[in-house]
Amino acid sequence: MRTYVEGLVLTAISCVAIWGAWQVPAASPGDTWAGIVPFAAAVALLALSGFLIIGATRQSAGEAQSEPDNGATLEIVGLFIIALIYQQSFRWFGYLVPTAIVAPLILYIFGVRSRIGLALSVVLCPLVFHVIFFVLLGVFPPYGEVFDLLNWIQG
Amino acid sequence: MEIFPALLSVITDPMLLFAIVLAAFVGMIVGATPGLTASAAIAMLLPITFYMSPLFALAFLYVIGKSGRYGGSIAAILFNTPGTAASAATQIDGYPLARAGKAGKAMKVATISSIIGDMMGDILLVIGVGFIASIALKLGPPETFAIYFAAFVVIGSVIGKSIVKGLASALMGILVAMVGLDPISSEERYTFGSFDLSNGIGLVPLMIGVFVLGEVFAQLEERRKTQGETKENDSTQDGNNLTWEEYKPCLPHALRGGFIGAGIGVLPGLGSAIAAFISYGEGKRRAKNPEQWGKGALEGVAAPEAANNAVSGPSMAPLLTLGIPGSTIGAILLGVFLIHGIQVGPTLFLTDKELVYKLFACGMLGIIAYGLIGYFGATQVARLILKIPTNVLYPMIFMTAFVAAYSASGSMFDVTVMTVAGFVGWLMRKHDFNIAAFVISFVLAKGAEETFRQSLLMSDGGALIFVERPIALAFIIIGAGAIAFRVRGVLKDRKLAPGGLGDA
Repeated sequence: MRTYVEGLVLTAISCVAIWGAWQVPAASPGDTWAGIVPFAAAVALLALSGFLIIGATRQSAGEAQSEPDNGATLEIVGLFIIALIYQQSFRWFGYLVPTAIVAPLILYIFGVRSRIGLALSVVLCPLVFHVIFFVLLGVFPPYGEVFDLLNWIQG
Repeated sequence: MEIFPALLSVITDPMLLFAIVLAAFVGMIVGATPGLTASAAIAMLLPITFYMSPLFALAFLYVIGKSGRYGGSIAAILFNTPGTAASAATQIDGYPLARAGKAGKAMKVATISSIIGDMMGDILLVIGVGFIASIALKLGPPETFAIYFAAFVVIGSVIGKSIVKGLASALMGILVAMVGLDPISSEERYTFGSFDLSNGIGLVPLMIGVFVLGEVFAQLEERRKTQGETKENDSTQDGNNLTWEEYKPCLPHALRGGFIGAGIGVLPGLGSAIAAFISYGEGKRRAKNPEQWGKGALEGVAAPEAANNAVSGPSMAPLLTLGIPGSTIGAILLGVFLIHGIQVGPTLFLTDKELVYKLFACGMLGIIAYGLIGYFGATQVARLILKIPTNVLYPMIFMTAFVAAYSASGSMFDVTVMTVAGFVGWLMRKHDFNIAAFVISFVLAKGAEETFRQSLLMSDGGALIFVERPIALAFIIIGAGAIAFRVRGVLKDRKLAPGGLGDA
């Protein structure tokens, strides 16, 4: 079943890729078509997904056993959602505020239960990363469109 | 002979020497920490190297890669957990030795063999790389494309559990690299009207995502599976010392492993794990005491360790001469070259020859650095690793991934790419797709496309140009042969285990 789903997902990806390559305008005379490599790669991927599906249909039921998940996938999807929100919140609130919120959250997810440790991470994580990357390395920090703590601190 | 002035120049630069020693130590820690890989560390540190000189940046990351390969043996021998895939072969005999109270002895054999193998690889690289570059200069676009084709096929089909998934990973890497403006006609491809996508997908955020964030996701999953505590194996005083009489029988295995590793290292994508297992198998076949192998033979540590490390130097040959990275570390180093505006390929030996040889010199000094640290302090390094709280380490790596991806070019889009790449990387790993093939193909795709289209222009659109030229044909046959060889292997395995289904 798992291989079958993988084959179907690959088929969907290759169909989108073929359609995307087909959108590339034709080449001008004497030139090569800009879509030739993506098109060829997408068609090859479609063929491979076909192999995967054929293989899955021949697979015996006994082999399709997958290892127990223990809810780990759900936890990882949750972490991915936090990651998405975290990176998006840079645009709204700059670097400091999102990091101060996310640091204890991630530490908690990874099993840190010390209240002092979690409280310290609220201050230390944004401070340390800010000093290393935005002060010592001189990278220009992301500006928060809604509210930027750094801007507020610097007046 | 260029290596000698390069060595002299590096030795007389205290800052560079400090960077080499630091990189050797960092690499060892990273390699020895189960779950952390040298690729992840290098990807994470990549944005920091933007602010360094090219040699400093390359030497720092290159030595981390070398030392990381060696560091895997510390975890394999002392914790019974291979720090890297390649050190799984070392674990076979290393851990029984550690359980017998000979952890120190096993570590010393691993260290000496690693130094021998790595040094052999580097010497062969220094001798051979100029020769390969001079040949590469004579290759036209069809030949270069054929080499790219062979690299894609070998990387996709030879490594990993599944040929179909390996090749699919390589094709997905190519497709992701095609996002953005076509470099020849400036036509948009896969941009779906997005301005951000028209600039393409950046190498640095993609690598940080796949190797660093993807690893954090994988570790979160791993935490649920393994709740046990890792313990170090103590050595007795006798088990800590290594005499020449004890190492003497290991020397032929280390030398053979060095040649096996160097040979495999030149071929893109095969990597150190394959070299280590081939060397172990070959060593056991030729050993005077094969019955002892697997139960705690010192030769069983020497053979895979030498081969594992010998891969490091020669894997730089296709990268530097053809722009084809042979490993994920090579792919990341290619990114460093590009970031610093250095064009990798045969012309590198005309434009930046001094830099290349200085890099080799740094590599050799890095071997000595990790050798000394490992020989005298491997057990202390192991104790240090046991003290690192992983429940703090991985959250810190998680947050570093975001700020590192942003620092690469100050782009929030890069952070989004990194986040998505991290999740996709974890999904690919979970479903046995080959992330090394995905990343290396992503790096190779642009060069391959350029040479492919140049070849088509040369032949007025005829694909026969790849068959008419003997060198191009030879590489295409190598590619096809690699698939045929692997398919044959899968079919053979299926016969041995009736009812099993491969994927070929």
